[in-house]
Amino acid sequence: MALLQIAEPGQSTVPHEHRLAAGIDLGTTNSLIASVQSGSASTLSDNQGNDILPSVVSYQEDNVLVGQAAQAFSIDDAQNTITSAKRLIGRSLSDIQSKYPSLPYDFCGDENHPEFVTRQGKVNPVQVSAEILKTLNTRAQAALGGELTGVVITVPAHFDDAQRQSTKDAAKLAGVNVLRLLNEPTAAAVAYGLDSGQEGVIAVYDLGGGTFDISILRLNKGVFEVLATGGDSALGGDDFDVVLVDYLVEQADLVRPLSPALERQLMQQACFAKERLTDNEQVDITLSLADGKDWTTKLSKQQFNELISTLVNKTLRACRRTLKDASITVDEVIEVVMVGGSTRVPLVRSEVEKHFNKPPLTSIDPDKVVAIGAAIQADILAGNKPDSDMLLLDVTPLSLGLETMGGLVEKVIARNTTIPVAKAQEFTTFKDGQTAMAVHVLQGERELVDDCRSLARFELRGIPAMTAGAAHIRVTFKVDADGLLSVSAMEKSTGVESSIEVKPSFGLDDSKISQMIKDSMSNAAEDMQARMLKEQQVEASRVIESVQAALVADSRLLNSDEIASIEDMIKSLAQVSQADDVKAIENALDKINAGTDVFAERRMDSSISQALAGQAVDKI
Amino acid sequence: MNYFQLFNIEATFDIDLQNLSSSYQALQKAVHPDKFAHASEQEQRIAVQKSAHINDAYQTLKNPLQRAEYILIQRGVDMPNEQNTFGDTSFLMRQMELREMLEDVKFASDIDAALFEVQRVLSTEYQQLSSSMQVQISENNSASNDAACDNLRKLKFYQKLNIEVDRLEDSLFEN
Repeated sequence: MALLQIAEPGQSTVPHEHRLAAGIDLGTTNSLIASVQSGSASTLSDNQGNDILPSVVSYQEDNVLVGQAAQAFSIDDAQNTITSAKRLIGRSLSDIQSKYPSLPYDFCGDENHPEFVTRQGKVNPVQVSAEILKTLNTRAQAALGGELTGVVITVPAHFDDAQRQSTKDAAKLAGVNVLRLLNEPTAAAVAYGLDSGQEGVIAVYDLGGGTFDISILRLNKGVFEVLATGGDSALGGDDFDVVLVDYLVEQADLVRPLSPALERQLMQQACFAKERLTDNEQVDITLSLADGKDWTTKLSKQQFNELISTLVNKTLRACRRTLKDASITVDEVIEVVMVGGSTRVPLVRSEVEKHFNKPPLTSIDPDKVVAIGAAIQADILAGNKPDSDMLLLDVTPLSLGLETMGGLVEKVIARNTTIPVAKAQEFTTFKDGQTAMAVHVLQGERELVDDCRSLARFELRGIPAMTAGAAHIRVTFKVDADGLLSVSAMEKSTGVESSIEVKPSFGLDDSKISQMIKDSMSNAAEDMQARMLKEQQVEASRVIESVQAALVADSRLLNSDEIASIEDMIKSLAQVSQADDVKAIENALDKINAGTDVFAERRMDSSISQALAGQAVDKI
Repeated sequence: MNYFQLFNIEATFDIDLQNLSSSYQALQKAVHPDKFAHASEQEQRIAVQKSAHINDAYQTLKNPLQRAEYILIQRGVDMPNEQNTFGDTSFLMRQMELREMLEDVKFASDIDAALFEVQRVLSTEYQQLSSSMQVQISENNSASNDAACDNLRKLKFYQKLNIEVDRLEDSLFEN
């Protein structure tokens, strides 16, 4: 006979439901999805047994291909086949064209919102990333047998705000719920740290296809504290290919512009040669030229090392600076973890070893370690491990500030500040009777506006007319746990809160995204309605569950009237969420949120005092 | 609740950083948004607020100059605005000398040695000011608090110089 189950006092009597969650490594060259199943994290494969999905999307006559299937078209149909979209996400057209002058795409759209012209019409990099996410999501649902509660998507640690926001937009477009954006090196540290149980300072050297990150972390009793992070969002293994392509173009006496197909062929040959040079001292490279003839050359490892040495040195300079930011010496670093396919290049390994004075750790597959770490974090965030001791404390990679008089940047939040963070700074008017103020938000380390990245501009209107310098405008910067920034402003002396309008300098605004979601659905209006209803129902059940659990755990913080009123609100929310009136559910949610605000605040404060009480006992 | 109470440590300048750090981690384990990722939007919002507040408190107490400033403000000492003129002319003269010394580094025959020497001088003078400030803070009377406030302002000059040294070092590495 089966034994009867009895719940622990104070705990829900409903047996814990395992929520499906996954970690996604949305890479420049390849993407992966992983999940924790029966306690261990592993990557999920498609029905052909491949876990690596090339980050390639091809727009064909009547369908969209993703991954290996799309890759087949990358030479012969280069214009309609987008590779490495991650390098273009959240960037301006002139940025893209100056950095990658020989891309085989036909660009359109305006300066800050570049798009590709494909045979299926205009497509932007966010949509391309969304296709990859959709494919991975479908794969995970098939492998895990149900819809996912949410995913953790990894991004390069020093991705700026526009790049992070665009990644989140891609998820929204793909219909994937994002639990957290997680920095790639931090994800790798989680996979490594939980595996090894090491404590102390580690460095994560992450050289991917298109990005380079270096993070210094302190591991202590389940806490992963990022001390500093640095790198380059436009430096990766692809750049090794680019210098090699330039070298080949010169050697073969080719004159640019070349056909898109030849450019693609050159890139593929260069990449192939790079990979073979890991285990060979010399390789042959053959190109089929337009005149039907073949051109062949030999390339030695020594020649290749010379071509890429400047790029490798650039990564080491970032390592030096990041160690300094972390106030850590090379000797204090107990381990260097290598992440990213480009760390297979022998020169990279030997130079990193020389710099850190110890052999780097390559035991975990550098292609999979990020997805594995993201899966572990996703499992915890979904609520499957309520007793987990793990905590990730990450930082802002770049300083955030505002434009002041004379084109200078006033920093409000310094780089390597632990997130979440909220900081306010006060400004004043420049002229008598000034009633509006242009606020320009910037990201970067340099002192001049022109050298920093413009994130957003907004205008603060309705400032009461006063003499110059009399108004006190308080601008508040908030960075959440995803590393995303929001900015608000108010005039202090009169208490007048003025309206603000944020116009993102790059990426897409909310209305454009909902338009794109609508466009992607066949029965736009009904589908949209269904989607909104489902979102509200999910939030309603989440709220009911959490308020009920809170009442069981902490009803001592409430008097009997308060309890009764909260129970009423739960009942009416449960009732309306059964029906299909989106507005009514929204109203009931607003009501219960307002009605439990004080309770939630009291609970949080009580857990703060309990946290230290528990610690005091530990110390004794 | 002030920052010292928040971390349950004694309100002195000379704090145990190890203790501060473990209290900080314990608090973040209780309120960090990651602990509420599957909770309602309301709980997520409050968690972000509390977590940001604890981060701010931790950074303030961890950094010696910010900690000193926080203690003095808590005691009701009037912190002069950073833009206010500074009366101590001999100190300002010394700052100009140090700046010249820094500017001369790139013309030195041995740049490494020159840079090292600047760093050594700055660090010695910083240490002297810092220890007298520490004594003044612990004395805790109206005159000593004012004197500590003066020294804190001077230390901020050194902090700025150190940033310049870092910049110079970076630019020398670049080449």
